[in-house]
Amino acid sequence: MELTTLLQQLINGLSIGSVYAIFALGYTLIFSILGIINFAHGAVFTMGAYFTYALIGSRFGFNGIFANAQLPFGLPFPLALIAGGVLAGLVGVLIERTTFRPLRRRGADPLLTLVSSLGMAVALVNLIQYFVGAEAYSYPSSVLAGLPPSINFGTPEKPLIVRTVQIVIAIISLIILVGLTLFINKTKTGRALRAVSEDGTTASLLGINTDRLIVLTFFISGFVGGIAGTLVGLSVTITGPYFGIAFGLKGLAVIVLGGMGNIPGAVLGGLVIGIAENLLPASAVAYKDAIAFAILFIVLLVRPQGILGRAQITKV
Amino acid sequence: MPETILEVTGITRRFGGLIAVNDVSFAVQRDEIFGLIGPNGAGKTTLFNLITGLTHPSSGKLFLMGQDVTHQRPHQIAAKGIARTFQNIRLFGNLTALENVMVAQHVHTSSGVFSGIIGTPKARREERHVREQALHLLDMVNLADRAETVARNFPYGDQRRLEIARALALQPQVLLLDEPGAGMNPNEKAGLSGFIREVKEKFALTVVLIEHNVPMVMGLCDRIAVLNFGQLIALGNPAQVQADPAVIEAYLGDEG
Repeated sequence: MELTTLLQQLINGLSIGSVYAIFALGYTLIFSILGIINFAHGAVFTMGAYFTYALIGSRFGFNGIFANAQLPFGLPFPLALIAGGVLAGLVGVLIERTTFRPLRRRGADPLLTLVSSLGMAVALVNLIQYFVGAEAYSYPSSVLAGLPPSINFGTPEKPLIVRTVQIVIAIISLIILVGLTLFINKTKTGRALRAVSEDGTTASLLGINTDRLIVLTFFISGFVGGIAGTLVGLSVTITGPYFGIAFGLKGLAVIVLGGMGNIPGAVLGGLVIGIAENLLPASAVAYKDAIAFAILFIVLLVRPQGILGRAQITKV
Repeated sequence: MPETILEVTGITRRFGGLIAVNDVSFAVQRDEIFGLIGPNGAGKTTLFNLITGLTHPSSGKLFLMGQDVTHQRPHQIAAKGIARTFQNIRLFGNLTALENVMVAQHVHTSSGVFSGIIGTPKARREERHVREQALHLLDMVNLADRAETVARNFPYGDQRRLEIARALALQPQVLLLDEPGAGMNPNEKAGLSGFIREVKEKFALTVVLIEHNVPMVMGLCDRIAVLNFGQLIALGNPAQVQADPAVIEAYLGDEG
């Protein structure tokens, strides 16, 4: 591979890898608090993409209940991105209320909650199809109006061309990663979240309302998941109601690779998989999706706890 | 006229067929050190779990300062002024000593999630105040110089003291201590009674204490309740309890 191509692919890999990272953080946050994987997270990702699509004023297709529907207004893309994230966050809160809390109140086995979140994922995907049909949607290219479609970081003789959209994605993801890290490590609420993730019972005996923090966690998880959905939709296209499901599996690979419940691990896992996919030679591009799982398989053979995970020490 | 601060009336907790706590009633007066003793499995820790809302009674009631808190959740009871420590220490191991204490001040702050994120002057002021108070508490238990060390790296005795500092940060009215001397060496144990008295005076606390070390309980407590197989078999001052035939029977029976 030529150096410029390598650099180009590296940048693309960092860009998509940073989206993997923020998406995977949605899983990680919930896992670190409840010890359960939220299988509906992929569906939230999908919904975030559709919310933003609607909010910029785009028209839906002719299938589904909302055939040819369109909002009477269109928000500028940055605003729609945030509002779409907030709506996805509210879907996250709804998932907590309907899928997690009733089982938690009854002291159900985590495995049951996992299955109920899987059921929620199926329900959400079908709702999307019911309302807006199964066709693919693309954001109009005008959302990045004013920006050139690509930027040449090289010279005219040795071009190093990067799509603007990749840069935008990387910047937004980076802002979210830094913001979330600061929130968790530097604020009062973040401190309480860390306490609950270590020992919710003790935290509640110190006056912390764990249920409220769990709701907040689901909101944040849905928010970052929804933003990730929009960013991927922007980079490629919204492929339909199942958009987030394949992505969801890759997100799982990311968190297992990085170390379950470990925030830096999710970020590292996302970047590793994103870059690895993009460094594949053009002839092997069809195997792109297999890469994540191949890496996962190899790493788990050597480090079953993930790259940054702490080994479970079983006391005998 | 002594004022009742904590009262349980006819409290019962069943776990399936097992009656862990059976129709227990007593009232703790403000300002006293109240001991809770009994053989293993007598229901002492279950009683603590009932008082802190971790588990709810099958029947009976729980009053805190005259208010019925029987069905309140742990964080609500904690906010009303009951703090506890555990038999096996339960610190947040990956948080620093300072953070452990600051977490317990959460209920005494008012700034919201959002003002914390954008760092409004009020939120910053509050955070600074909380930090100062936490450092003050750490200083009191001689851990201020290691405030930034994560809790799991402290030796056992220091973890005990950190746990007490964290409980005090909640600014409780009542402090429940579940075997505070467990795992301490004789040296540390000798200083414990003095430390509990000192803390009680300084923070105007009422203390309820579970402890196996009978001489220590007799020397420290104003009144003692004795549980056996979930039932309250004696209640009174140390001399009364020591002379009670049912208590002698329970302890000798347990060992024989």
